[in-house]
Amino acid sequence: MKRINFIYKVAFVAVSLVGLNSCTTDDLDPSTEQNKPVEGGITTVSNLEGIIKGAYSAMTSSEYYGRDYIITNEVRTDNCFANGSSGRFTTEAQMAYNENNDYIWDNAYDVIASANIVINQDVSVLEGDLDYAKHLQGQAYTLRALAHFDLLKSYGQMHAGGTLGVPYVTEFKGEDLFPSRNTIEENKTAIAADFQAGFDMMSTAYNDSSKEFLNKYAAKALQSRFNVYFGMWPEAKTAAEAVINSKLYSVLSASDFVGSWTQDGSSNSIFELAYSATDNQGINGLAYIYRLGPAGSYGDIQVIDEVATLFEDTDVRGLLPDDDDEPTGILGYEDNMLRNIGKYPDNRGYDNVPVIRYEEVILNYAEALLETGGDALTQLNMIPSNRGATPYTSATKENILLERRKELMFEGFRFDDFVRNGMGVEKVSPQQNLLSTVPYGDYRLAYPITNAETNANSNIVQNDQY
Amino acid sequence: MRSKFTWMLTFFMALVLQFSYAQEKTITGMVTDQDGLPLPGANVTVKGTSTGTQTDFDGNYSISTAVGSKLVYSYVGQKTVEKTVGAASTINVVLEQDAQALDEVVVLGYATSSKAELTGSTVQVDAADIEQVPVASVDQVLQGKVAGLVMNNSSGTPGSTADIRIRGVSSITAGNNPLYVIDGVPVANTDNADNQNSGSSLSPLASISSNNIESITVLKDASATAAYGARGANGVIVITTKKGREGKTAISFNTSYGFSNDAVDGPDVLTGAEREMLFYESLYNSYGVSDGFSRDGAKQHYEDNLGLYGSAYYDWNQAGRPEANWDEVVTNKDAAFREYNLSASGGNENHNFYASLGYFNQEATVIGSEFERISGQLNFQKSLNSKLKFSTNNSASHSYQDGLLETSSYFSSPRTVKFFAPPIEQPYDEDGEINLNTTLPNPLWIAQEDIDDSQLVRILSNNSLEWETPVENLRFTTRTNIDYQVYNYKRYRNRIDGDGASTNGYGWQSHSSRANYVFQNYLDYTWNVSDEHSIDFKALQEYQKNRYYYLEADGDSFSDDGLTNLNSSGNPTTANSYFTDWSIASYMGLLHYSGFNGRYVFDATYRREGNSRFADDNRWGNFWSVGGAWNIHREAFLADSNVISNLKLRASYGVTGNANIDLNLYQSLLNYDSDYAGTGASYPGTFGNQNLSWETSHTYDIGADFGFFNNRITANVGYYYRESKDLLLEVPLSLTTSFEEQTQNVGRMENKGLELEVNFDIIRSQNFNLSLGGNMATNENKVLETATDGTGEPINITTGTRRVEAGHPVYGWYMVSYAGVNPDTGVDEWYTDGEGSATTTTWSQANQVWQGESALPTLTAGLNLHIDAYGFFLDANGYYAGGHKVFEDWTRYTNGTDRFSLDLYNGVDALLDRWQEPGDIARFPKMEYTAKPWQNSNKFLYEGDFIRLRNLTFGYDFNQKITETIGIDGLRLFLRGTNLYTWVKDDRLKYDPETAADGFTSLTTPPVKSFIFGLNVKF
Repeated sequence: MKRINFIYKVAFVAVSLVGLNSCTTDDLDPSTEQNKPVEGGITTVSNLEGIIKGAYSAMTSSEYYGRDYIITNEVRTDNCFANGSSGRFTTEAQMAYNENNDYIWDNAYDVIASANIVINQDVSVLEGDLDYAKHLQGQAYTLRALAHFDLLKSYGQMHAGGTLGVPYVTEFKGEDLFPSRNTIEENKTAIAADFQAGFDMMSTAYNDSSKEFLNKYAAKALQSRFNVYFGMWPEAKTAAEAVINSKLYSVLSASDFVGSWTQDGSSNSIFELAYSATDNQGINGLAYIYRLGPAGSYGDIQVIDEVATLFEDTDVRGLLPDDDDEPTGILGYEDNMLRNIGKYPDNRGYDNVPVIRYEEVILNYAEALLETGGDALTQLNMIPSNRGATPYTSATKENILLERRKELMFEGFRFDDFVRNGMGVEKVSPQQNLLSTVPYGDYRLAYPITNAETNANSNIVQNDQY
Repeated sequence: MRSKFTWMLTFFMALVLQFSYAQEKTITGMVTDQDGLPLPGANVTVKGTSTGTQTDFDGNYSISTAVGSKLVYSYVGQKTVEKTVGAASTINVVLEQDAQALDEVVVLGYATSSKAELTGSTVQVDAADIEQVPVASVDQVLQGKVAGLVMNNSSGTPGSTADIRIRGVSSITAGNNPLYVIDGVPVANTDNADNQNSGSSLSPLASISSNNIESITVLKDASATAAYGARGANGVIVITTKKGREGKTAISFNTSYGFSNDAVDGPDVLTGAEREMLFYESLYNSYGVSDGFSRDGAKQHYEDNLGLYGSAYYDWNQAGRPEANWDEVVTNKDAAFREYNLSASGGNENHNFYASLGYFNQEATVIGSEFERISGQLNFQKSLNSKLKFSTNNSASHSYQDGLLETSSYFSSPRTVKFFAPPIEQPYDEDGEINLNTTLPNPLWIAQEDIDDSQLVRILSNNSLEWETPVENLRFTTRTNIDYQVYNYKRYRNRIDGDGASTNGYGWQSHSSRANYVFQNYLDYTWNVSDEHSIDFKALQEYQKNRYYYLEADGDSFSDDGLTNLNSSGNPTTANSYFTDWSIASYMGLLHYSGFNGRYVFDATYRREGNSRFADDNRWGNFWSVGGAWNIHREAFLADSNVISNLKLRASYGVTGNANIDLNLYQSLLNYDSDYAGTGASYPGTFGNQNLSWETSHTYDIGADFGFFNNRITANVGYYYRESKDLLLEVPLSLTTSFEEQTQNVGRMENKGLELEVNFDIIRSQNFNLSLGGNMATNENKVLETATDGTGEPINITTGTRRVEAGHPVYGWYMVSYAGVNPDTGVDEWYTDGEGSATTTTWSQANQVWQGESALPTLTAGLNLHIDAYGFFLDANGYYAGGHKVFEDWTRYTNGTDRFSLDLYNGVDALLDRWQEPGDIARFPKMEYTAKPWQNSNKFLYEGDFIRLRNLTFGYDFNQKITETIGIDGLRLFLRGTNLYTWVKDDRLKYDPETAADGFTSLTTPPVKSFIFGLNVKF
């Protein structure tokens, strides 16, 4: 009896103990109040729109169009140098970069991953405007093409004596998580196909006046840039003509040009990335590195002194005479240092960043006409005549490249214009950080692939000499 | 200061009057042990009443009671004695050693154990050692006291966090911090300030006053940490707060006052004149030949080309070459330190209490930063009836930290100004006002105008009910613990100068609250098999839940100067809030067998724990340990030995776990915290891994404890081997997936080492004691296996300076090897493939190679000396760490042989050892007018060995005659110096050798050297 009593009491205590608070696996489910699962998180067209906006947002990051991609392609040329005031971009300017730098590799593939989620979504199962869903998929194809094109220009071996391009990724969390590099030719085919798919799937019904989202003609405009880069002249001509014939855009006049950089969605803008008072790169933005500004900033990127002599006194892109009544030009002096004070001028980074504007398409068209035998001069002169500069008397490759340099200066085109024309980077000014001329074919004309990638993925072949 | 202490004494006297008026018959006497040595702190109580006292530092006591009453004398580890009060007014008592409760009791968290019955490896630091170490954060007292514990202060800013590593590191990318347990309950120890990643950190431990701590126990091996098995892989730190003692209410007042300076001055920088000289030299080296000027003509060349080079030096010469001394103007020399703590403790057999109130204030050694804490503690225990005992431990504190911009090298931090501000630019202008016309923000202005304030309110309430069940020897306890932390952060950047100038002011404020609940129920049963054998059982169920809520907002464009709240922001830019939670459920069983009069001890523990960080199917993990000990000295053949008083062999083996990773990593999630063009955007957040589960460590530990000559000499020696498996590794993914990593259970790592502790009571007598103790530990860490990629190739984690690869210590140094300055050309050269290979002058052509060491010390040691004589005492404590290397960071700027040092910022004065002409053997290459890229190499990798005199305390305990005269129970004065002396092996290492755990020197706040005067009064 005593023994039973004992067991009973132990059992009672044990049961009440467990009963007081017993926990199961389900009690341990964490809450995810800020997130939704990837699988099953997209049920409406508006969900899809959220994802594509995530792709645009990834493009605005400081490492990509927010600053680094543009600055790297200026500071490696005869336009700009890094004065070291915060230590930024001297490595890029000396072309002394190494594989510890991830540059745009991660950012561009972020854009591609988001684009792939949208592209591979079966839109027929979504709630909402399914035509709009298709339009969003067209944007995604275009973004995928653009990001791969930017990667190819940066890491491809076109100008460093090789054949390798970059991995062309078409699936999010797909079968091959350790992709190898495709060839340059494979990349070109895929990019062209994606630009075309983008154009085909987007509808003019959804054209957006803000220019902050891609539309049909933005796809064509970017395609013309791609075709010019690879010397695909008939295709470049067709693509540029499609944009011009849309009659949606115009070349800005000399009086409007400088002011357009403080405004969003100007008539010359085809596609620009949105920045605002609440969404910007701040001290990691373009103006903070280009300018000293009224209150001080990094101001590392200075303009090489000789650049001022490129422009006529009346050219709004140069140094306009110092007169309080006149608007200032794109160039200016801050603390006796020649600087870009006109493009992306807001030191807080509130200005939108154009990705492609109409003047570039005109210059692409002029170059394509020159190569295919058309009236290049008329197209070329549309630019100087709207900038307060003297028109050219003849359209030559040299004149077109000079006008591209003047018109697109500080926007990240100069380096590409060198290499696509078989030129290296020449040391022309003692201000350039470069110690000596880097000839065409030099390994430094292809960026090293970051060791974050090569460490994780042994299928990636590093560029030569890194 | 003099007037302050006078005031304090008045205050004591007022209290003294209150507590010493009762007069009956006064009994005095001395309590000693079997060797005739006085026992300080022994309890003397009047049986059946709440009256009681404790013996003083000399074993003397004095108590008032009526004739015929019984006095009870008790002391931990000694047998209790009762004496009846008769005619005599002096009663001297000898307390014999209690064989069953030999020496000290060790607190293990859920349980306590006598030292003899321990099968695991533990070290306990008691109140006496903690009280005299006034520190902002209690974990700081552990350094040098525990073999195998390495502590790295990431910053000397008072209140900031420290990295503690026990027996090396067991994880590569999951957390390596130990688990903290306060009064038996695991608590949240997350840095509340980690959301604002550029400011000072604030440790939750800084909210606890060290005065309220009875003991801190460090549990090291699998057997000791077994009860916390699932989270014990990195060791466990068990903190126990003070409990009330039976007897007369004892009041104690501790106060300390002192001042601090940086323990190590850090590198000296170039003066304006030196920097100017090197600048002209750089012009000569770069352009002398091409522009046709001589070394001496460099100055003229500069002055002829001010448009090209800027006119800074010219203007400085015109102004009379004033030297700036930035370092001096931002230093808070002799930074003040104050602490006051008043506590009371008392009770009878039915209830007892401990209460305290404390204030702590410490200024940083640079301007504009301090830490302040007000804390209170109330611990209360009451027997509700003969079967039920209620116990509650409560603490509340408010900590305030005026922090700094640190963690990186920010231009506007007062810590970096010495390295970045050109010494030819002046801190003050001609009118004596702060000079705002500087190229970098003036830290004098920043310290005055900008705000980086953290405030932490922490409330800990630990309540338990203990029930002696009707079953004999079966006890049931239920416990609820709430750890509630409210954290506020305020940042403001002024409109005039510095980081807020470009946006006309910038403000950011955040608020977070963390509630951590723990519910425990457990049964304790002791089965006394016979007189010689007993078995203790414990069954425990525990549930822990942590809820965290965060809210932040920021804005710029402030309407006016001096208005720093977001209310005045014209452009609110961010509003953000989020909520996260995690929970843990566990079941634990513990068995402790002690047989043959304690000769044989056996422990077995099993814990099953579920964690919300893992997917349903992999949520639960099983952890266990077994341990045994053989107390050889209790065997008959040693019982009569005069030499060996203690000899114990112990061994343990067990499996412990670690789940110290971010939340919700197992799920594949979209994040929604992005936006574009004014609308919300989403993007892939985590890759997810449904297979994610526990990281486990398999440890065996063997050791022996020795005691010779009645424990005059004690020692213990141990060896451990820990293999960590299924590491929670952030496996790098191909970035083409858009993810940087996926957390997987992959990889193995081992840690092994030898630990030794020795203590020698050289002289043991009534009036003179001398003891010397030391500890030493080795640690050898090796990665055994890492993840592999799709083709089976190992994925090594490589940075510009470190690497994780199988066969090497984790994050071992891996960088380009420096070949020195070419004596003919004066340029840097590097080895293409490590020392001995071909050299190159192009850094990017040199490959990184293993440098042989990591940042983790392989040998640490501590040395303690104690002397006391006639009331005077001296304690000294030294610490050594070595066998590791540290890397000097930011050398591109601070050690630049180019415009970074000579034109834009400033450089260290070591640069004066530079190449000037062919044949020069120099540490630094020729100065050049250029801006070089980062060129990390082992040129800046130094041996990390150092010795530090951590603590030197000299004090006096007033004898009883004096204290009686002024009517108090005890009075102690002491003077303490911390970090008074530091020896560094590598004389190139100018920064403090105590770096963060990653081994990089930083420009932020180093540990301090301080002098503290302290006064303890008991009455």
